[in-house]
Amino acid sequence: MRLTRTLLLVAAALLVGSLVGWASPVLAQNFVFGTQGEPISLDTALIQDGVSQKITSQIYNTLVKYKGATTEVEADLAEKWEVSADGKVWTLHIRKGVKFHDGEPCDAAAIVWNFERWWKANHPQHENQIKAGQTFPYWEDQFDGFDDKSIVSKVEAADPYTVKVTLKQPQAPFLANLAIFAFGIASPKAVEKWGVEYGKHPVGTGAFKFVEWKPNQEVVLDANPDYFGQKAKVKRVVVRNIKDNSARLAALKAGEVHAIEGLNIDDIKVVKADPNVYLVLRPANNTAYLAFNFHVKEFQNKLVRQAIAHAINRKAIVDAFYGGLGLVAKELQPPALWGYNKDIKDHEYDPKKAQDLLKQAGFPNGFSEITWEDGKKEPLVFWYMPVTRPYYPSPKEIGEAMAADLAKVGIKSQLQTVEWANYIDKTKKGEMPLYMVGWTGDNGDPDNFVCFFFCPTNVPRQAWYNNPPLSDVLKRAATLTNQAERTKLYQQAEQMLHDDVARLFVANSQVALVFSKKVKGYVANPTATEFFNTVDVQ
Amino acid sequence: MRNYAIRRSFTVIPVLLGVSVLVFSFIHMIPGDPASVMLGEKATPERADAVRKQLGLDRPIAEQYLLYIGKVVRGDLGVSIVRGDPVLPDILRRFPATVELAVTAIMLALLAGVPIGIVSAVWRGSVVDSFARVWALVGVSMPIFWLGLMLAWIFGVELRWLPTGFRMEAGTSFQPITNFVILDTVLERDWAALVDALRHLVLPSVALATIPLAVIARMTRASMLETLSRDYIRTAQAKGLSGRVVVLHHALGNALLPVLTVIGLQVGSLLAGAILTETIFSWPGIGRWVYESIGSRDYAIVQGASLFIAVIVVVVNMLTDLLYAAVDPRIKYD
Repeated sequence: MRLTRTLLLVAAALLVGSLVGWASPVLAQNFVFGTQGEPISLDTALIQDGVSQKITSQIYNTLVKYKGATTEVEADLAEKWEVSADGKVWTLHIRKGVKFHDGEPCDAAAIVWNFERWWKANHPQHENQIKAGQTFPYWEDQFDGFDDKSIVSKVEAADPYTVKVTLKQPQAPFLANLAIFAFGIASPKAVEKWGVEYGKHPVGTGAFKFVEWKPNQEVVLDANPDYFGQKAKVKRVVVRNIKDNSARLAALKAGEVHAIEGLNIDDIKVVKADPNVYLVLRPANNTAYLAFNFHVKEFQNKLVRQAIAHAINRKAIVDAFYGGLGLVAKELQPPALWGYNKDIKDHEYDPKKAQDLLKQAGFPNGFSEITWEDGKKEPLVFWYMPVTRPYYPSPKEIGEAMAADLAKVGIKSQLQTVEWANYIDKTKKGEMPLYMVGWTGDNGDPDNFVCFFFCPTNVPRQAWYNNPPLSDVLKRAATLTNQAERTKLYQQAEQMLHDDVARLFVANSQVALVFSKKVKGYVANPTATEFFNTVDVQ
Repeated sequence: MRNYAIRRSFTVIPVLLGVSVLVFSFIHMIPGDPASVMLGEKATPERADAVRKQLGLDRPIAEQYLLYIGKVVRGDLGVSIVRGDPVLPDILRRFPATVELAVTAIMLALLAGVPIGIVSAVWRGSVVDSFARVWALVGVSMPIFWLGLMLAWIFGVELRWLPTGFRMEAGTSFQPITNFVILDTVLERDWAALVDALRHLVLPSVALATIPLAVIARMTRASMLETLSRDYIRTAQAKGLSGRVVVLHHALGNALLPVLTVIGLQVGSLLAGAILTETIFSWPGIGRWVYESIGSRDYAIVQGASLFIAVIVVVVNMLTDLLYAAVDPRIKYD
């Protein structure tokens, strides 16, 4: 009896010892990235979420891609290109000898096939996705919809390695659009083989081949030895789904993953103090702002909007809440974009001036009630977002700070929020008088920031702002292909937005990625289209 | 007994119908529209309308419910709104992970909780008892979320003894057969994978076991105290039996009966606790999947998984009732 007990104890001790002592550093030659969730699909044409994008960018190549850490475009599957004088016909020369991971050739025919799938609603591999409840969101947004609605009128293979794309009118950000991850070129044969299930069996031409997707755990990719570009330095990439921010950081610090994104602002201090990890800041591609509803009579008065711009101490907010990742925003485009206007002089923080402006506007004591256009009066509600975004890392606290600044000059508001999906709904319906929200860019082109918002006039999702001259400037910029001319127009547009205080731009935020010191060579891009083939793990 | 079992089975039906109505109405009552969540912040209202129509979300809620329940009866739990995958196979694929975690947790809770309860009762009022009672109270009131993070931090980050999450090493080539990974590693005789899987199981199961452990310890103590004051125990003691024999052979059997009920009831809270534990430890079970699906308003998954969990809880409780009769000859169901 006593012997059995002793033996059992020894066995238990051995078991515990072996479990605890079993060293489990992540395998060398693997690169393990911790992301904030589960990919939606690896069919890159269908997705919009950052996690899926992170993976599909490794599997597919686009025709052109963003260069290093900039939003300029450079060759990828297309080696070179030219555009006709009228800006309507793009001729793309395709790299020769490129093969998909399934061994099929990636030639002009395959590329035309991809275009037709994105573009034509009756393409069998488009139609089946729509029936399954999916859509091709980036094509719809960047190329103005499907079939005849699209700006694209013809796509043809002029020869086995030349693709010609004809547009109905010139589209300035055409190349920048093609660099979006959603236009990664998929193997037609694989798409046809898997149909609506293709998103679980992706086949591209990229530096990594798809191996396995373990639901709610990880996606595994292996280096593609036949890659035409810079070959991967690691053998295997594992993208792990770690939903909780603190758990993700713990996994990094425990050496179980090599890199993470999505960091609690408070944890930046922890990261900076840890000698085994380092921060990489992705240049800001977002802007947080405070939007005025132009169906509210008080906000139709420019003096009131100016007063608000002078009343809020944005620098203090950025210093207090962005953990060193924020910049005070003075325009809609972040500074990394080439349409940014350096010459705009920001509204300075000056509560006294704000009070004077309010007096001039006829509110010597400020106000706490607003009047809607239909005459309905109600207390002023200041809406803050219920979720954090990089551009608003602590929306509630930032909202409180802004509301407190406004109260100091006499504009008294009640802070309120609703659940996020509902919040988005309200912004789309133009229902909130004064609200916080922001924008993250897609293709690194100024058009994607400024035109998305201000080309349409008087629409609810832009809180009914109506400025036809501004819209004209932006629409003109969208049809030019000469970047110098476009730059001037975007700068002019920013000046108009600033002068009219169409919105109060609050902050741009860089996104923090954290790496183990063992990892070298990761290049962060403002569009978050980043490639793992440059990464080395020591 | 058989009659009781049959009658008891029939009571399951209204319970499940009730659950389905509740789950269906709750998730539809949460503000926020799945079409908007699906399409992201940048979608046009027209596209959102089209998607809503496609998903049948534009129909009256009663009609949506009847359509849904009609399918459920035929074994079709619908397809995920976000990914388009059928829900039932996805549940079955993730369920083994949750079962593995929950079973380990309940075993830990029993192995530790019952002895603690016995010791507390036998040495009532002693330092051991006070310590155990304080710990039981702390255990019951400890937020699993916090405890999980602390465990991961201490044993994963600081000491580096155990992994902070997942079921296996990143990028492992081990291919499970049944998705009960521990079982699969044994079946495939892959001992390195077994050790890996066990190492990953330790922290989440300890976190998940905390509350049931505390409940079981308290219940065992109370029940043991009651049994120890019975006449037959005094008789046994008077006959000169050793303390150990009295406690383990005479008292424990009777004292454990109420504990059995508690274990049955703990299954529900284990599955609920699994939502938090699985999220903290990136455990790929049903709990975390439901948590993520609530965020994306994936009605089909939340409804399907809730219904599935309800079935499990109801069935386990029914089995506990029946088991009760089996272990205690004094109990008759007629």
